[in-house]
This record gives sequence, C-alpha cells and structure tokens, in this order.
Amino acid sequence: MPSPSLVGFEQRVVVGIAEMAVTNNQTVTLATYSLGSCLGIAIYDPVIKVGGLLHIMLPESSIDPSKGTAKPAMFVDTGVPALFRAVYQLRGEKYRLIVTVAGGAQVMDTSGFFNIGKRNFESLKSLLQNNAIRIHASEVGGLVSRSMFLNVATGEVRLKISGQPNDFILCKSSTST
Amino acid sequence: MQELDEYINKVKHLPPAPRILPQLLHLLNQPDTDSGQVVDLISLDPSLTAGVLQLCNSAFFASATAASDIQEAITRLGFRQVFQLVASISGARALSPPQKGYGIDAGELWQHSVTAAVAAQIMAQELGEDDSVIFTATLLHDIGKLVLAEALEHIYAKVIEEIETHQYSLLETEKKLLGVQHAEIGGRLLSRWNFPENMVTAVWHHHHPAQAQDHRRLASFVYLGNMIAYFMGHGYGHQAFALRGRTEAIDFLALKADDLPKYMIRTFDKMEIIKALFRISK
Repeated sequence: MPSPSLVGFEQRVVVGIAEMAVTNNQTVTLATYSLGSCLGIAIYDPVIKVGGLLHIMLPESSIDPSKGTAKPAMFVDTGVPALFRAVYQLRGEKYRLIVTVAGGAQVMDTSGFFNIGKRNFESLKSLLQNNAIRIHASEVGGLVSRSMFLNVATGEVRLKISGQPNDFILCKSSTST
Repeated sequence: MQELDEYINKVKHLPPAPRILPQLLHLLNQPDTDSGQVVDLISLDPSLTAGVLQLCNSAFFASATAASDIQEAITRLGFRQVFQLVASISGARALSPPQKGYGIDAGELWQHSVTAAVAAQIMAQELGEDDSVIFTATLLHDIGKLVLAEALEHIYAKVIEEIETHQYSLLETEKKLLGVQHAEIGGRLLSRWNFPENMVTAVWHHHHPAQAQDHRRLASFVYLGNMIAYFMGHGYGHQAFALRGRTEAIDFLALKADDLPKYMIRTFDKMEIIKALFRISK
C-alpha cells in the first residue's frame, strides 16, 4: 500500500550498467538493478534534496582510456568524480552529502584473478578517503546480486537482494550524518 | 547416469527448442553444406522461423527490403549469423521462465546465459577458436537448472537453511540435498539431445574445467563466460551460494591478469546490441 503522504506518481528512473543519473526532482526514485561485482554509489544532499546514482563496472579507466572518456560512468576513477560534479552543479554541498554503496559481489578466490568486486570497492574507498569523504552505509561483498533505490524526496536508500522476497532500508538519510 | 535420467524423465515440460542446434552445428561444420538443408531444418519450426526473420529485418541488420524467408536471411546474413540467431531464440524460449527453486526471476537465467555466451564468444574469436560451438555450449551451460528447479522448489526451506548455515557452493548444496547437481544434469540433457561430446563434457564440468580432460579448453571458455556473466550481475538467485575461482581456466587459455576486465568491457558493448535486438529492458 502506498503511504498516504505520497502525492501523485513516483517515477522510477533506471540507471543502467555504466550509467549515472542526478536529479532534484522529488517525485523520482533513482534505481539500478543487478549489481553483481559492480558497485552502486548513491549520494544525497538532504538539505536541498538532490540525489545521484552511479553504476560502475571496473576500478580503473587506465585499462581502456578511450572508454573512460566515452563512458566515464563505467569506472570508479572517472565515474565518481563525474557523479559528484553533477551533484555540485545542482548546488549540492560536499560536506552535506550522504554516501551509500552497494554491490561488489565476490567469488571464493585466493589468486586475485576473479576479485573484481573487491578491487572495485578498494579503489572507491581510497578515492573517497583521499577526498575526505565518508561512506555512511554500505552493503558490499558476498555472492549476491543487489538492486539499489534512492528516493529523492526522502533520501532513503533501499536494497533488494536477488532470491529474497523483500527489500530493506540501507540508509535513512536525513536522520543520519 | 540412471539417477540423472530419473530426474530428467520426471520433468513434464522440458523445452523442445534446443534440439535443432546439434543438427545445425553439424551442417555448419561441413565444408559444402547445401543451404537448402538448413532452410528445411529451421522451417520445421514456424515460430523459430518467424523469430529469425523478425531479427533479420530489425533495424540492426535491416536493408532496404525485408527478407521474407529463411533462404533470403541466410543469403543476407550468412549461415553463422543465422545460426547464432537460432541459438539465441532457442535459448530465450528455454531459459526465460522463472526458476523458483533457485530464486531466479523471469528473464534472469536467459540474460545470465546470453551474457555468458557473448563473453565466451568474444574470447573465442580473440583466441581464434570455433566460436559457434563455444557460444552454444555457454548459452546452454545452465540448462540443467530447468530440471532441478522443480525438485529444489519442494524443499525450498531446506535449501535456504543449508546455504545460510554452511558456505557450500551451489553444486555441493544440490548434491547434498538431491544427490545430483545441475552441471551433470545439463551435460546428460545435451547428450540425450545428441549434442557433440565436447559440448556435453564442457557443460558437465563447467564449474570445474580441469575435470573436462580432453575438452578442458572448451570447458574453460564456458567457465569464464559464466564468471563474467556473474560479474555483470545476472542469474544469481539465492544469496550465499559460494562460487569458486578456478585459476586453471585462466592457465588453460593462457590469459593475462588484465584480460578479464577487458573482456568484460567488450561483453558490455556487445550486450548493448543484443539487448536492443531482444528488447531486454533492464
């Protein structure tokens, strides 16, 4: 049942693999599906209600620099700066941003060949750390596929895990920080 | 073997579609195939014929006039491309329904399988191997799940309990609860459908390519295609099914550390086209 406070339609904007979207339209829920070893990164400014969602696939664009230019949202090192810049353009403020992360599924592997999910998260953590940005909530690792939803009106981030019937709240936004 | 057949025989509605593929593959590998034989085979299945023509006439392939029969589609696209369309349509039919026993939603297994097949095909082309065989084996690697999904659904609570308390792999869980696992069922199914032995063996050992002996290279392509499809997010089902990284697959194909991410990028590019062709929304 929809909550009584909900007025009009909720629009779901789908962010595909290697894509991002940023908006201050409060009727929108940004959604990204089937994260696998990819990472979903949501950022939200609770004061002016601007949100962005990014679905990256790999850590470093150095593996294919022309791809990094053509499709920056594919890589952590090109996608994350682009996401933050887009939110700043809508007057989001760095110190207010709430950052949530999900995905990075991992197989049992000691060789390092198959640890793409882990490398994605490591590279995100170090990039954010170098820029003094904190991750407020994360759900990373394991061999599951996650879908992620950011409600732009409330800043709430929900996760749905493959094979499980119900979604759950990863971050309530405005009450945290 | 008998135990595998018992499970397969119990299933009432197995897809008939992939049965055409071994015959087509055989024709594909003849040096002087008469395209009439191919046309006859495909035309036996009207909805398959319609599907091939629809894709052939889609914006991606289309020329000024629409192809109106399979003969024309072959002339225009070539036999290999038509074979790939037939395999993809057959795969879509068989693999699209939800598999509740695995917690897999409608469309998920198909999307997982086609992503895996595209990834394996890209690797095959790069390494100069027969990409039609590799594409088809990888596309059908999880076909055994169609057989076991029903059995697992009946003991769903037990499956969940098992994977939550132990870090078993999917194969271990299946073996423990059912006595059989989906890879060997898939291999057996392909052998009953008269697929060539190399494909049967590769599907049978797609989680453990070293055990595929003479066909371990093919099994390695299937294994790595499957892995890339998991990386890209599709076909997981229940949480906590552990999947093991097998470096021998990397060794058998002599790949380098950077190769997997590179193949992921190329798989991504090709999947954009496949998604548009098959109208996959997510």
